Amino acid sequence: MSEPILQVQDLRLGFATDSGSVPVLHGLSYTLEKGKVLAVVGESGSGKTVHALSLLKLLPPNARIEGGKIIYQGKNLLTMKESSLRHIRGKKIAMIFQDPGSSLNPVLTIGEQLCETLHAHQKISKTASRKRAVELLTQVGITDAEKRLNDYPFQFSGGMCQRVMIAMALALSPDILIADEPTTALDVTIQAQILTLIKNLQKQNGMSVIFITHNLAVAAQIADEVLVLYAGQCMEQAPAAQLFSRPLHPYTQGLLGSLASVRQKTDKLSVIAGNPPRPGDKTEGCPFAARCPKAFEKCYKACPPLYEQAGRSTRCYLQEGK
Amino acid sequence: MGRFMLRRLCLLPLVVLGVTFLLFFLTQRLSPEMRASLYVKDPRQMGALEEVIRQYGLRDNVFKQYGRWLGNVVHGDLGYSPSANMPVAQALKQYLPATIQLALVTMLLVVFFGVWFGAASAVHKDKWQDIVARFISVGGFSLPIFVLGLILLMVFYGKLHWFAPGGYSIQTDIIIHSSAFKTYTGFLLLDSLLNGQWRVFGDVLSHLVLPALTLCIGSFALMVRVMRSSMLEELNKDYVRTARAKGLRESQIIYKHAGKNAIIPVITLAGIQFIRLLGGTVIVETIFDYPGIGRFGVLAAQQLDIAGILGFSLMVAVLFVVGNLLSDILYTAADPRIRLE
Repeated sequence: MSEPILQVQDLRLGFATDSGSVPVLHGLSYTLEKGKVLAVVGESGSGKTVHALSLLKLLPPNARIEGGKIIYQGKNLLTMKESSLRHIRGKKIAMIFQDPGSSLNPVLTIGEQLCETLHAHQKISKTASRKRAVELLTQVGITDAEKRLNDYPFQFSGGMCQRVMIAMALALSPDILIADEPTTALDVTIQAQILTLIKNLQKQNGMSVIFITHNLAVAAQIADEVLVLYAGQCMEQAPAAQLFSRPLHPYTQGLLGSLASVRQKTDKLSVIAGNPPRPGDKTEGCPFAARCPKAFEKCYKACPPLYEQAGRSTRCYLQEGK
Repeated sequence: MGRFMLRRLCLLPLVVLGVTFLLFFLTQRLSPEMRASLYVKDPRQMGALEEVIRQYGLRDNVFKQYGRWLGNVVHGDLGYSPSANMPVAQALKQYLPATIQLALVTMLLVVFFGVWFGAASAVHKDKWQDIVARFISVGGFSLPIFVLGLILLMVFYGKLHWFAPGGYSIQTDIIIHSSAFKTYTGFLLLDSLLNGQWRVFGDVLSHLVLPALTLCIGSFALMVRVMRSSMLEELNKDYVRTARAKGLRESQIIYKHAGKNAIIPVITLAGIQFIRLLGGTVIVETIFDYPGIGRFGVLAAQQLDIAGILGFSLMVAVLFVVGNLLSDILYTAADPRIRLE
């Protein structure tokens, strides 16, 4: 059994609106193990990104954390002072984002943006930080790094920008990398390159990764463990191999069933009927019940708890007593 | 860059020709006698009127007259200004530095305080800093400069006697015109410092404070608004989140990251405002009797001093083109994505 490095406990989060608080996360809990990749999978609006941002308290101003804990090195990040949190951001826990093009500052050179991360957390001379920046860029596969330090983000392609973001995130060898849909804005070939890069660097540095994605294929490629998020709740969590070979939750089964296959030709793609509940919609029972082909009476009355069995957990009454 | 500047400077003669010809054409609406009468001051010499008209060819075709004026301008002769009682070229040379000095000081105030208030207002959105900045900004917008100028005159000259009214003191004039006082830049504020004349510096400064304050209020209000909205927009961008995720200090995030982007529209605005200020000095210089080209232009216009009016417009046109060019160049310095081709 490996040791946990980050624990999320009963995380509750909502957005303040004119008509009161709209809950987005309803008590999310999980544990990230050291040196492992945890993929958080979910549809748009399931709370993936908000959850990722809350880990480093980078939430937009109208978001409210309503409860729970995020434990890192025995300390709760949610109650930590902004000044102490600053020493964790970028140094211990780094983050990369969905749109690499807009995540870099357009008027600062790549070199400036890379070096300032180093200067923010350690005493280092300008020449040393520049040298380190060249190393980092070379490490993420940018050729002619020395020259490219003086370039601006608009002179880089999307894939290259994401490489720069990764180099920036890895600059101080963090314990944890949070990757929020890092390949969504990239085309498929670049996507594969970036995934391989993250995977390789993760192995080299022994880093833990929280990988947010809506793409099951991507999750399958990179993850050790997968958490399926639906309407702000964990529906199923399992080791990747098990989840993909034998999904237990009807939602996960639906997701896997809707994947199109190249080998089998079909006229119609299979889909999960209906739409996910909108944040703020009140549901008594299981949030998936309305769309679930296997739902029965009980499912509409109360939300099922997470049933744990053999290293995996599932939020479904069908697993009760198994 | 070089080619861009060259192309822009090629436009300069066109603008100057357009402006001056238009004005020249307008002045032809006055009869030759009226135009000549300015040079004949004594009513007993009315007979000389016809001589002046003949001598200067005032009855000639407008194009011929304009061509003659243009030929003189090319040789550096802008004519004689009866209203300033000296050649136009000399008047411009004497009055222009004072105006540029006033506009520069005003612009410094506008940019410094405008950017500061605007940024603070955005960072502390809906807090008291924001409310104060917005209040000043709305107030500044709605107050016409001639009203503000007169209020300041009444309060600071009239009641409090903080600043001496009118032109520079006699001591200052004596020192400036003495041979010991060396002219380095033409800007009295700098020259007095370089000459070590503290009293002159103080006197010049005290004559600059109220006009600059009056002149800056409108531009300042605009600057606060632009900086505020620009900053608010930038603070919501993804790269700000990245900067925060890297563990940078809040001050670095605000000033280095968001600020550098937010300032770009401010620079364009500053360029336009600076040119507007040079024109706007006309009212302020008249209210405060400030010895700049604005006052020269007004006096020339009041006395139908055609050479003076043309010289003044020529100067403003040149400043306009050069000012625009400078603001474009500044723009490229601030935003690396812009290349001037």
